[in-house]
Amino acid sequence: MGPLQDEGRHRIGSRVGIALCWAAAIAVASVCLFIIGYLLVQGWHSINWTFLSTDPVASMTEGEAGGVRTPMVGTAVLVLFSTFLILPVAIGAAIYLAEYMDERWWITRIVRIGLETLASVPSVVFGMFGLAVFTLGFFKFLSASGTEGGNMAFGRSFLVASIVMGVHVLPFVIKVAEESIRNIPLSQRQGALALGMTKWRTIRKVVLPAAKSGIATAVVLGMGLAAGDTAIVMLTLGGTMTMAVDKWWQVGNWVEVLKGAGSTLTSYIYFNSPAGDGNSPGAALGAAFVLIAIVLVFNLAAVLLFRRQQRAA
Amino acid sequence: MRVDDAMLREDPTMSDTFLTADPNDTFSMLEGMLATAAPRVRSTDVPSVFEVRALDVSYGSKRVLHDVSLDIPEKRITAFIGPSGCGKSTALRCLNRMNDEIPTFKMRGKIRLAGQDIRGKSVNVTALRRNVGMVFQQPNPFPMSIYDNIALAVREHESRIARSTLDGVVEQALRHASLWDEVKGNLKGSALSLSGGQQQRLCIARALAVKPAVIMLDEPCASLDPISTARIEELLLELSADYSIVIVTHNMAQAKRISDKVAFFLMGRLLEMGDALQVFEAPQRQETAEYVRGAFG
Repeated sequence: MGPLQDEGRHRIGSRVGIALCWAAAIAVASVCLFIIGYLLVQGWHSINWTFLSTDPVASMTEGEAGGVRTPMVGTAVLVLFSTFLILPVAIGAAIYLAEYMDERWWITRIVRIGLETLASVPSVVFGMFGLAVFTLGFFKFLSASGTEGGNMAFGRSFLVASIVMGVHVLPFVIKVAEESIRNIPLSQRQGALALGMTKWRTIRKVVLPAAKSGIATAVVLGMGLAAGDTAIVMLTLGGTMTMAVDKWWQVGNWVEVLKGAGSTLTSYIYFNSPAGDGNSPGAALGAAFVLIAIVLVFNLAAVLLFRRQQRAA
Repeated sequence: MRVDDAMLREDPTMSDTFLTADPNDTFSMLEGMLATAAPRVRSTDVPSVFEVRALDVSYGSKRVLHDVSLDIPEKRITAFIGPSGCGKSTALRCLNRMNDEIPTFKMRGKIRLAGQDIRGKSVNVTALRRNVGMVFQQPNPFPMSIYDNIALAVREHESRIARSTLDGVVEQALRHASLWDEVKGNLKGSALSLSGGQQQRLCIARALAVKPAVIMLDEPCASLDPISTARIEELLLELSADYSIVIVTHNMAQAKRISDKVAFFLMGRLLEMGDALQVFEAPQRQETAEYVRGAFG
């Protein structure tokens, strides 16, 4: 056996290592596909027009449990409001972190530690904290008033839940947005500065336009996160499945709807599933189907937007 | 100036013909051109646009330029040459204060543009950079349309410019950078879809659009092929009728082909500066002689 035919000591080890990595990757993919597949197949039976277009009814009988119209609307309202609320803060902070801060400044370290802590706090803690804060009488304008004559607010409404949800997704949105701003090459910033643009104008006119699909990716990821969270909804949107007003679609009622309690797809799933309070697994699975479809659409949009940025860079 | 222009056009080494020639012949023609490249003859006894006096530069504790004094002649091409790390790019970036962006940058000495201290209290750095355009080693068009690349620069300084006026400015800038004929049908197309050489000419057009007095280029052809390089050199020769040009290059043949005045840097010092003919044919310093002959660098 010549030197070129030598089997080598590491040959078998390499093969085992590669095989293990493959197995791990395939295991992850199959678990994920199994869960999604199971929910989609099971949930599909419950999906029909009536299910999508009727409001939920609190009932122990599956056939009378109604549909997911208001929870779907609730998810949409919560996602849009929380995103809308944090957008200026998220973009501003991302610009500061990517462009202006100096890692040696103490304020930068505090901001970084703050963001990391915020990102690692479980959402149920945010929910609890939000409830503690927004039941204070001062915040009565955000939710329906509590007990008659008392000085406490109810503390559960779409507005309150949107604020709390916004704080929950904020660190994730900032992180992804900051990365996408940092990814814009230095050469383009220099090109703009050399044309006599100020740093701020360079950011506004060159960096942000180039990073816009990355920032959109960040926002869409945050929306997916907000759509999927349950603990915050359970605690700060109220233990109900319906809107505060029956005719919620009438413009005149919108303020009352936003100040009132409600449900989203996630809390609907909890209230209907046998694991939670309800006895309507079919309805829960149907709602899970709709929710997964929404989150997948968000993620797909994020991937497409991210690809666009990659192409542009 | 006119005489020089005519001279340029008749210079056989810079003729258009080799660009349009049979591609098979192009390389042999290029080789011939490089071999016969002779320093150009154009008087540098003209007023100075930049006057640099006793310039010392350091980054943190590292001294990178020592006591550099030089004059940049108006409407001529000045080349900064020297081996890597000799300080030529740093010197260039002092002229439009691009080094100000580096936190550890410190400089002493005086730099005057048209008699005015560029670090004076009343000087606005954005106005300085508008007057001293810069083109970088890697073409860096913005990721937007060809039109917007130039319009952005123009609008930055004239925010209320009318659309029709802007169209004219964009066209003129592209014509000056001899890019118009190649892109006029595709102004809305992405600047990133252009070739490297076209992108570099777009960057030159962008710099020209804000009407600078000086154009500085930091190794503008380092990432380009010989044909694109030749087009840029030809363009710079044309532009030197109206603009003062400073070019950093490590390409000796390029400096010979286009520069009127040459500054040779070595280890942070300006070793020798003079008319191109003198520096290349009769250098005064031993190191310059060795460098231009290709002994090191």
